[in-house]
Order: sequence, then structure tokens, then C-alpha cells
Amino acid sequence: MEEILLEVKNLKVKAEKEEILKGVNLKIKKGEFHVLLGPNGSGKTVLVQTIFGNPKYKVIEGKIIFEGKNITKLSPEKRAKLGMALSWQNPPKIKGVKLSQLLKKISKKKVEIKEAEYLLDKEINVDISGGERKISELLQVLSLDPKFAVLDEIDSGLDIKKIEKVAEIIKKEFLEKKVSVLLITHRGEILNFLKPHFVEVMISGKVVCKSSDFKKILKTIKKYGYEKCRKCIQKI
Amino acid sequence: MVMRNVENAFRKFNFWQRDHKILQILKQKGVEIFSSEEAWEKFNFVRKFFEKKPKEGYFIWVKRQIDFPLLTCITISTPKVSQDLKNLLIVEKKIKVKAKVLCATEKENLCASHFAKGKVVLKPGAFLEYNHLHRWGKKDFVNPDYEFILEKEAKLIYNYQNLFPPENLLIRTVFYLKENASANVNLIVNGIKSKIKIQETLILEGKNSQGILKIRVVGRENSKILGESMILAKVPAKGHLDCQGLLVDKNSKISMIPALICQNKEAQLTHEASIGKISEEQLTYLRMRGLSEKEAIDLICSGFLKI
Repeated sequence: MEEILLEVKNLKVKAEKEEILKGVNLKIKKGEFHVLLGPNGSGKTVLVQTIFGNPKYKVIEGKIIFEGKNITKLSPEKRAKLGMALSWQNPPKIKGVKLSQLLKKISKKKVEIKEAEYLLDKEINVDISGGERKISELLQVLSLDPKFAVLDEIDSGLDIKKIEKVAEIIKKEFLEKKVSVLLITHRGEILNFLKPHFVEVMISGKVVCKSSDFKKILKTIKKYGYEKCRKCIQKI
Repeated sequence: MVMRNVENAFRKFNFWQRDHKILQILKQKGVEIFSSEEAWEKFNFVRKFFEKKPKEGYFIWVKRQIDFPLLTCITISTPKVSQDLKNLLIVEKKIKVKAKVLCATEKENLCASHFAKGKVVLKPGAFLEYNHLHRWGKKDFVNPDYEFILEKEAKLIYNYQNLFPPENLLIRTVFYLKENASANVNLIVNGIKSKIKIQETLILEGKNSQGILKIRVVGRENSKILGESMILAKVPAKGHLDCQGLLVDKNSKISMIPALICQNKEAQLTHEASIGKISEEQLTYLRMRGLSEKEAIDLICSGFLKI
């Protein structure tokens, strides 16, 4: 049996006073590629931010297990040291600090992306477009040489050529090297170039659907919206 | 580390003083360099710039165009030394010069004092880029007190950077700008367990003079920082004051008092000021990249202190 890399068990999370995650379950095995879909506000970003230890989100119940170790209370930096890397949906600006400076501090391996070269000399996420931010995020995640990479809306703000390029990088640098990937996508266009092992659908703070037939799920969502998913029989 | 860097760069310094002893005066074509005491004896005109005969410090007079930067270095290596420097730098008409000025301690915990009273005179049309770097031990007392006199059409870029502050820092600088002169002043001070008082004054006294004064301070580890800055316009002129503070911990305090005084209705003075904290989002972002909280704070502060 393949080894489980990440397991999220009945995770309930609140931000300020509101409960956002209402018992999320998720299992990702080594080398697996998962895609997480869901409408705006369903809790996708809160889920991945919690998995990576953002102190803004309080775990009120449940566990996060990485390589068999309970990491629910581990600091974000210790999780990073275990080989977890997250590409943020909306990364913050760090004024006065160049991307190359940060990479010098965090890099575990040298990564070269032609499209990212000119970003190295720019301040982190300052005066760059949404698409450029995604490339910068991808470069940072690759530099961390992770066992588990989460790419939160990595395709948003990118034109179709860039999406293809990003998909190519994901395939070459992660999937072919058996790095487990969880990709959050809104539009699903990137899935024209990538084939996930599983697609999970999240609605109102819960993963309500899991399927290995991503084409069917995408087709259903495109045709009926997420309402259909609420009634889906393939409940976990 | 400082010591090794200083030793490596030794041969390039135009003026190097350690404690009270001058270790090197490197004379180069186009520049007169003496100890202040010697200059007092040698040149009558020098006397008007000093209150009395100085005992230590330098006199540098750039008389011709040079193609190298001026390098000066004042260091302290002995405990409880108290330097009392009187420095004078004169740049002649239409000469363009870059200067790198280092004042530092060679060891930690020397409990030393560094008093430096200086005058910098830019003759008409002269240009000076003055990079002033301070690096001190945690128990030192440091008091630079400088006047910059910019004559007609002179231009100054002044960058003061103090990332390794002493226990006590009192920095006072006054800039006098004559007709069409311009000054771009950037002050960067990183407060770590320090008591810091900054007093910066830019006086626009010549028609169409222009000045920008930017101050960036970080307050960390029980620091108390008071920044008093002022632009005074006596004639039609332009001035902008920009003071930003970053308060890192709850035991530190930053007070910023920017002031604009306008004595002429044609003058245009503006200012912006803010004191903020490090955002949790930035910290979390960097920690998710594997940096410890302290490493993340250091990186954010270093970015904030870049102008």
C-alpha cells in the first residue's frame, strides 16, 4: 500500500469568531496529485493556510498529520522544514526585500525559470502584476525542494500560454519527481494540461466529493454549478 | 568582523584614526588632507569653522576634480575611549565628489564615546554624495553633530545609515541651502536596545533651493526613539519631509515630530509621516518559507530601512 503523506482528520477551524472549516477530511499519498475545487468562500484557502500553520486560523478540533507525525500545533517554519511548501493565492508585499535576497536565505536547490529571471531583482510582490506574483510564488516553492507542494490558485491571472508553461513546470518539477501536489483552481483551465489522480470538491467548509474522474467533475460543475456537488452521491 | 573589514580596506583610507591616534593620511592629487589641529595652524581661513583649536579630527579640502572616492574611517578599539572630533570637509566650486565615511567600534562592549562635530562646505556648483556609515557596540555613546553648508547651486546627497546602534545615539544635523542648491537627505537608524534622539533641520534660505529629508527608524528590543525633524523655508523654495517608523515590539517607543515652518508665501513645503508595525501576514508568509520569527523580522526590518 502506498504511504500516506498528508492526512487531515475532521478538521474544524475558526477565524476570529466564525467557524470556517466544519470537519474537513483529506488524504494525500506520496506522489499523488490532487485538485481541490470549490466556490468562493468555501474554505479552500483557509484549509491550506491551516495545513501550513497560519496562526490566524485556530484549530478547534481535528488533526493534521504529515508523514505520520501530528503537526497540528507545529510552527509554520517547522512545517516548511519538514518539506511542505505553499504558493499563496494573495502573497503580501515585502518592501525593500528583493526576491533574490529571500531565495538566498531559503533555497534548498537552484531553480532556473526563464520567465522569472527579471523578477529576481524586484522587491517581493511589489509593483508586479498578479500573474508575475504567481511565477514568483512558484519559483519560491520550487526552491524549497518540497515533498508536498500546495499551489493555491496558481493559474489565476495568467494567460493561456503562461498557464501551459506553469503546467509544464508542475509536471516536470513535481509530478515526474513524485512530489505530492495539491492544486487549488477556480477556472480549471490548467487541467487541460495536467491529469490529477483525484479531484476533491469543497463546499461550505467541508470536502463533499472526491473522484478520480476529474473530467466528469469539471463537466458537471461547468454544466450545473456547485449546487450539483452538494447532492453528489459520491460523498466521502 | 568589523576589524577584519577595516584592516582589509586600510590602505585605501584617506584618513584613518583609531582611538586618538591617526594611523594614516593618504594624500592624493587634488586633495589636501591634514589633521584638524595641523590645518588650524596652516590655514587661517580654517579657523572660522572651528570654535577653538581642535585636538583631533580631519580637514579635507577638495581643490580639483578627483576620480576616486574619499574614504575616511574613525574607529575605537580601547575601552572607555572618548573621542572628541572636529572635522571639516570643503569641496571647491563645481567639483564633484563621492565620500564614504565610516565611524565604528572595532569591538563590542567598549563603553566608548564618540563625539564628532563637523562642517561640510559645498562651494557654488559643487556636488557631494556623502555616505555616512555608523556601526557601534551595544554600550557606546555616540553624538554626531554636523552642519552642511550648500552654497549657490550646490548639490548634496547625504545617506546616513546606522544598522548597529549604540546604547545612546544623539544625532543632530543642520543643512543650510543657498540659492538653487538642493539636498537629498536619507537617514536610516535601526534601534536595538537603544536610546536614540534624532534632530534634523533643513533650512531653505536661498531662492529656489530644494530639499528632501527622509527618515526611517526601526524600534526593537526596548528602544526609545525620538525623531525631531524640521524644514524651514525663508524664501520661495520647495521642501519635503518623509518620516516613517516601524515599531517591532511592545516595549519600544517611537516618537516622530515632523515640523514645517514656512516664512514665505511662495514656498511649498509638504510632509508625510507614519509609525506602523510588522504585519502578521508578512511574518507568516516568511515563516512558511522556513525562516524563524526572528529571521523574518530581521528581513522585514532590513527592507523597511532601505530608501
